[in-house]
Amino acid sequence: MAKKIVVDPIPRIEGHLRIEAKVNDNNVIEEAYSSGTMWRGIEVILKGRDPRDAWAFAERICGVCTTVHALASVRCVEDALGIQIPPNARIIRNLMNATQQTQDHLVHFYHLHALDWVDVVSALKADPKMTSDIAQSISSWPKSSVGYFKDLQQRLVGFVESGQLGIFSNGYWGHPAYKLPPEVNLIGVAHYLEALDFQKEIVKIHTVFGGKNPHPNYVVGGMACAIDPESDTAINIERLAMVRKIIDDTRQFIDQVYIPDLIAIAGFYKEWLYGGGLGNYLSYGDFPETTLDDFKTLLWPRGAILNKDLNTVLDVDPRDASQVTEEVSHSWYTYSKGDDKGLHPWQGETTPAYTGPKPPFEHLDTDRKYSWLKTPRWKNNPMEVGPLARVLVAYAKGDPMIKDTVGMVLSKLQVGPEALFSTLGRTAARGIECKQTAGFMRHYYEQLVDNIKKGDYRTFNSERWNPSTWPKECKGFGYSEAPRGSLGHWIQIENEKIREYQIVVPSTWNASPRDANGNVGAYESALKGTPMANPEQPLEILRTVHSFDPCLACASHVFDMNGREVTSVRIV
Amino acid sequence: MRINVIGLGNILFGDEGFGVEAVREFERQGEYPESVQFVDGGTQGIYLLDYIESCDAVMVFDALIPEEFESEVYIYQKQELPGFIHRKMSSHQMGLSELIGLANLRGRMPEKFVLIGIPPKCLDLGAALTPEARSLLDKSVEKGREILDGWLQGEA
Repeated sequence: MAKKIVVDPIPRIEGHLRIEAKVNDNNVIEEAYSSGTMWRGIEVILKGRDPRDAWAFAERICGVCTTVHALASVRCVEDALGIQIPPNARIIRNLMNATQQTQDHLVHFYHLHALDWVDVVSALKADPKMTSDIAQSISSWPKSSVGYFKDLQQRLVGFVESGQLGIFSNGYWGHPAYKLPPEVNLIGVAHYLEALDFQKEIVKIHTVFGGKNPHPNYVVGGMACAIDPESDTAINIERLAMVRKIIDDTRQFIDQVYIPDLIAIAGFYKEWLYGGGLGNYLSYGDFPETTLDDFKTLLWPRGAILNKDLNTVLDVDPRDASQVTEEVSHSWYTYSKGDDKGLHPWQGETTPAYTGPKPPFEHLDTDRKYSWLKTPRWKNNPMEVGPLARVLVAYAKGDPMIKDTVGMVLSKLQVGPEALFSTLGRTAARGIECKQTAGFMRHYYEQLVDNIKKGDYRTFNSERWNPSTWPKECKGFGYSEAPRGSLGHWIQIENEKIREYQIVVPSTWNASPRDANGNVGAYESALKGTPMANPEQPLEILRTVHSFDPCLACASHVFDMNGREVTSVRIV
Repeated sequence: MRINVIGLGNILFGDEGFGVEAVREFERQGEYPESVQFVDGGTQGIYLLDYIESCDAVMVFDALIPEEFESEVYIYQKQELPGFIHRKMSSHQMGLSELIGLANLRGRMPEKFVLIGIPPKCLDLGAALTPEARSLLDKSVEKGREILDGWLQGEA
């Protein structure tokens, strides 16, 4: 008899994602349904506003990745108004974006995803001497002495005994799907704590260039920071030196901690190659060396891969009405010309129409509409976006640095490239990408210093700041590769105000429900066929869904139309 | 003594933005020593850890529930917070409770910590603060300022 498992909510960051999975008698998942249970509506509140202010609203739609929405937003307004930003602004934006991506990947791996693989309670049983030996065998990272691990273990014991398991209380400790020996678990916990120090250092780069953090300042036309090597208050030599040190420390942490941990942990799970899913991958690309339209210069290349075919990378154009579309056949919206008809975001509509069960409910009616997420498709194909998509597109296009890093990771694990089409592959791709992107940080730092040495301090182009210089009507597209995947903002401006604004966020691609043709979304596909040790403790579902780094806060923010429980209020 | 005054919440959702608005108002209302920093924490979750660990005293403003609460200003001291957390009123998966847990585990919880909040009336997208929240905002800032003055005087 088939059973149904409901996991609600999934992300460890805010936001609501609900997974319903049907398992067979052998506890293998036969079907999965992914639902965003809260409404998104940023598009509605942007209507009628000054386009130059849009970024400040857009950056609040996601709890954590503020800077990527700000970036996509200023880019789409600049695209609409035909504004060229100065080279320094491009470099600084790239550096901030690379910083965000690096920081986010570190935090995702250690603070959101590691505990799907690392059993904290098992770490209490580790032998500190053996832990130290293992740590020293995989890396030259200095914090690896017997005493270091012994102290940490004692602190952990004290913490658990005082009843404050707190942050660690939502795990399935002792679950049979955990495979690491206690010593590797202890290394994982140690680096969980150390990574917190690194993430807080990295983000100081945002403070230097964005004026403040969280919520750094962006501006249509460039960046709102002044460069002057001689000034105390502007970006000067002292601040640049600090940025350089942070970049170097970050790269060291990734090379000596993150990548070795990833390989050590993955080595114990390489039999667990579930969760591959669609095999379709999409990347808009990002990190322009010149302008955003000069696709060939993007350091993360643009392209699409279908059916795991790494021999063919297809061209992508998100401005093309026949390529990127959203339909609502299984989403709680209505379209004026039919819910099954995919609309390009420039024709997009956002008219909520909830037809789901009245909460509290047991199950969603998955034969009909079951999600607040729309259903984005690329040329009618469901696509996966994110680190794995970016790494595969770059790999298939022959990017030499990516080929090197992917080759190094695969050879250490003694697996072939096909292992990348899995949950673990997605997790490995995030680490590979983190290493690559941290390298970009250094590249941009050098570009910026070179420009400053040449005497170019410009960061802002004010030519079209005044709305009187704008056309009466125009439209624009802004993209970026956010940590979680391809992000697009589409704007239409009329009489100096926003007429329409549509955002398609990465988690909408990945967490999308079925489309009118019955094609499942990326999460739904990835979960199919996964065996579960114990359906009461769906660790395997969490593992695969977390590997996508869900951020439903973007896709549908804390907002409950139905007044069900107090989910929309956070405290503590 | 380094002091961080942190506002939490999302300004796009009515009273959910109370914490951020309160801290903006707090900052606007007076002159403070350089050791006092005002932080628009938004919904940054774990990324706010450094703002808690890097100082000696933390004051957090946030919207908070449960439903049985009267419409007034609530103040929780550091020692009350663990019990408060265990009532599971938080919806953010990585919220203030986890930050406090992490800071404790790392042995970096500041000496002084206070949470000031009000129960929200309306969480509609695009809404401004409700009149109730607006009227409680001044009162909560006043309470916050009393506590802050106490902290600053204790130092002198």
